Amino acid sequence: MYIGIDVGGTSTNAVLLNEGLVRASATVPSSEDIITSLLDALDRIMKGVPAELIERVVFSTTLITNLIAEKKYDPVGLILIPGPGLSHVHYKYNTDTFIISGAMDYRGREIIPLNDNEIEKAINNLNARGYKKVAVVGKFSVRNNKHEKTVASKLASLHPDWHVELGHQVAGQLNFPRRVVSTMLACATKDKYSFFVDSVQAALSRRGIEGAVYILKADGGTMPLNKVSGVPIETIFSGPAASTLGVQALIPPGETAVVVDIGGTTTDLALILSGQPLLSARGAPVYDNLTQVRALAVKSVAVGGDSLVERVGKEILVYSERLGPAFCLGGPMPTPTDALRVLGLTRLGSPKKATEAMEMLGQPLGMSPSEVAQKIINMVIDVIVQEIEAMFIQWEQEPAYRVWEVLQKRKERPDMVVGVGGGAAGFITQIAARIGANPVIPPYSPVANAIGAAVAIPTIQINLRADTEQGYYTIEQEGYQGKIEKDPFTEEDALLLADEWLKKRAEKYGLGNAVEKTEYTRRDVFTMVRNWITTGRIYDISVQTPRGIIGHIGARGGFK
Amino acid sequence: MNKKTGLIFFPAFDWAISPTHPEREERLLYTRDQIFEEGVMDLPQIHEYAPRLASLHDISRTHFCVPMVQSQVTEAHLIAAGSTLQLGDSIVNGEIRNGFAMVRPPGHHAMRVVHGNRGFCSINNEAVLVEYLRRRHGIKKIAIVDSDAHHGDGTQDIFYHDPDVLFISFHQDGRTIFPGTGFTHELGGPGAYAKTLNVPLPPGTGDEAFMYVVDNLVLPVVKDFQPEIIINSAGQDNHYTDPLGSMRFTARAYADFTKKLQPHLAVLEGGYAIETALPYINLAIILALADVDYSNVMEPDYWPGRFKESPERIAQVQRMVEQLLESWANKDKVDLPNVFGNDKYYQRKKFIYYDTDYIEEEQFEKVRMCPDCPGYIIIKSRGERGYRAPIRIYAVSIPFQACHACQSEAYDIYEQAKKQKECEYVYMQDKSTDTCMYYDKVKGQEWVTEG
Repeated sequence: MYIGIDVGGTSTNAVLLNEGLVRASATVPSSEDIITSLLDALDRIMKGVPAELIERVVFSTTLITNLIAEKKYDPVGLILIPGPGLSHVHYKYNTDTFIISGAMDYRGREIIPLNDNEIEKAINNLNARGYKKVAVVGKFSVRNNKHEKTVASKLASLHPDWHVELGHQVAGQLNFPRRVVSTMLACATKDKYSFFVDSVQAALSRRGIEGAVYILKADGGTMPLNKVSGVPIETIFSGPAASTLGVQALIPPGETAVVVDIGGTTTDLALILSGQPLLSARGAPVYDNLTQVRALAVKSVAVGGDSLVERVGKEILVYSERLGPAFCLGGPMPTPTDALRVLGLTRLGSPKKATEAMEMLGQPLGMSPSEVAQKIINMVIDVIVQEIEAMFIQWEQEPAYRVWEVLQKRKERPDMVVGVGGGAAGFITQIAARIGANPVIPPYSPVANAIGAAVAIPTIQINLRADTEQGYYTIEQEGYQGKIEKDPFTEEDALLLADEWLKKRAEKYGLGNAVEKTEYTRRDVFTMVRNWITTGRIYDISVQTPRGIIGHIGARGGFK
Repeated sequence: MNKKTGLIFFPAFDWAISPTHPEREERLLYTRDQIFEEGVMDLPQIHEYAPRLASLHDISRTHFCVPMVQSQVTEAHLIAAGSTLQLGDSIVNGEIRNGFAMVRPPGHHAMRVVHGNRGFCSINNEAVLVEYLRRRHGIKKIAIVDSDAHHGDGTQDIFYHDPDVLFISFHQDGRTIFPGTGFTHELGGPGAYAKTLNVPLPPGTGDEAFMYVVDNLVLPVVKDFQPEIIINSAGQDNHYTDPLGSMRFTARAYADFTKKLQPHLAVLEGGYAIETALPYINLAIILALADVDYSNVMEPDYWPGRFKESPERIAQVQRMVEQLLESWANKDKVDLPNVFGNDKYYQRKKFIYYDTDYIEEEQFEKVRMCPDCPGYIIIKSRGERGYRAPIRIYAVSIPFQACHACQSEAYDIYEQAKKQKECEYVYMQDKSTDTCMYYDKVKGQEWVTEG
């Protein structure tokens, strides 16, 4: 039996799956002390089920995401080594930032050495300002991490108690500004994340659960909980990924669907294209900054059931703020939920209060409550439909760097609009009608996120970049730089080496059995010619385990 | 002026002329590394577009491909041209202020007739764009400034008789480099006199002379011409590290040039110093287009004052600029019959060598000297491939500004040519109605495409 638990800011959802069927589900309020709400949720879904039968527990959480959103973390100082290129005025990150000399080029060759005085000065300054957490990020450190490591060892010798995070270890892909943000957040959230992990482990051991424990990552894959202390940042956006995977499990395989999760203040949208959730081309965004975290493409739209509705002159406006619950639920102002209530599309709250809310808005305009209600719903739907359309267009517009990628571009439109979350019921039919798809509100949609966590499988990938002219290779995910021992080093060798590292990484995370099936998602070979002579090759290879879910809910959809 | 700069980056990581050819997969690899690591695509000033394919008709509107478009283009060519069209659309419809098509393969050596690949080019991306902009968006006057170290002979050929396209090319002196053309006396045909300007620069020319040409010739002439759209054929082989060229321009100078010219669209052409120049020049051009400070972009081996220009070279360039300015100033006063003759047709003979595909082409070009329009063009061409039988074609091109008389005369000529024996293929390219036809004599079959 599998358990999935989504720990949210306001509520914690849990499900127990047995042979592809939801055997129990529960929603409990999240308490300050995570352990209490976890135990509560576990007890509700495990009534009469012995703990020994639980093979696997997967968590997803928005806790860390929320901490970041609310900026509730210790300050992190930055030491950056950007070198020439973009003007340094671009590197402003709302914290004390020290830019020191030094530069690597795109092949990891040192073009400007470090300056010891500057390093020391930066560290002293950070110390004087009371920092105990530091992120060190150099441009092209992915290709050569020597500078970052030198600064780190200096930091370690002067302040062994500080928490230092290095860019090349947090994210391996090129994009210096995104790596800075990722590294800073990794540094900021590590303590809180460890606390979350400890709480989870305490709760599970109190109930005697000894199955494997995983945590969901933003890309919809899982990692063993006890192993991810290295890079918790990959898990911080797992909340939206959980709902999307949940929908994937709740609809038939191979469908193209829009997932619409309507909450109180925001509506989250995600796409499932031919059965596979769409990955974002950019890293997950944190406020205005992009990170280098691989994530599912999720678009957050600032309208929801509790959005504030107001009449201004002759117009009715729907704002993105929330002042409280709907009027019909005792809130101060009219909301879309009131409109739904008036139209009979929800049964929440008092119908009398809802009508009153619509009258407040409509009377000066000579509109009946149902006219006003329909208008409000139409406005909310307009915004959501526009964003759905924009998501598809953005997906079609994604850049391509290879001929075959351009040729295989396709155009797809959804077969179904799937509603999850509290506010979904009233809106989904109309959204679906507008874009010519079928509306679906699957059973268990209120706990879709917990189902998503329960069905998620490990994903693991390796990007290998080998430069035979310089005789070294890097493994992006590991921040590893190694010598190429073989000569000549062929494409076959590069593929084998990538496979080997995938296995090594899988074992490191206790996922040895996950790498039975692998796929190459990229295999580029660049012949290097210098002065009319072939001097080497660069291999760019990505190998991963296939993305997917354990199976679909109902009718034993693929579950073993 | 808060509109964005559009970028299409299409490095064609799975396309090469051959594995060790300068035009190979590796060419934009380090450019990718540099611009991705800088996070340029995430800048709020930049919008990255997806590449798209040009249609075969888009190509036929510009070129006579022998025997047909499909035999000269690969998918990569269609994507490079199509990406250029995508940015053209986005500029005209106001989504972006300017754009940079960083695409492979390049195109500025591809002429109107295409027997094969020359100078690594099969399809002229800028020329395909110009004809597309006219047809699709009704744009008439266009300036193309070619900053490649090699003369943009293909672009010159295609617009030599077009009074509405100003073509300025500065490049390394043709006596010292491929394709061996681009001298000051090549000024355009009788209907487009002085709308072609060539500035052959002596090998070793650096930033100072480059900027002199830009400030004193390129900018004033472009301004005077008042184009609706300015295109930069952004070849980067004038860089001091280029292995094929012998010039000494820096990345900084390329950016300064871009900032001064303010092209609507830059289209990547040559440039084969793929490690030492391209990452820096491409980054600098992007920043210059987006109006972002590029003063911190520099080559690792560069320091200010590294190259000093010799006074003789400066003087030589100054004289050339003066001469060209005079040609430009007097373009409407020139006694054209005296220069080009007074016949019904202006005609010239051309020999074109396809260095990449080893083809020798002999071409006979006739332009109708029409008082009412730029006149239709007739081309007889013979491509000699050595081991294979030569291919002969006969082609008629009607300009988009054509008068009725020229249009109907041209169709008569096309029909006659279909009956004659000497050529295997006969073409009609009617830009005024956007109709392209192609007749295969052996098969006795005609194909028509319309826009």
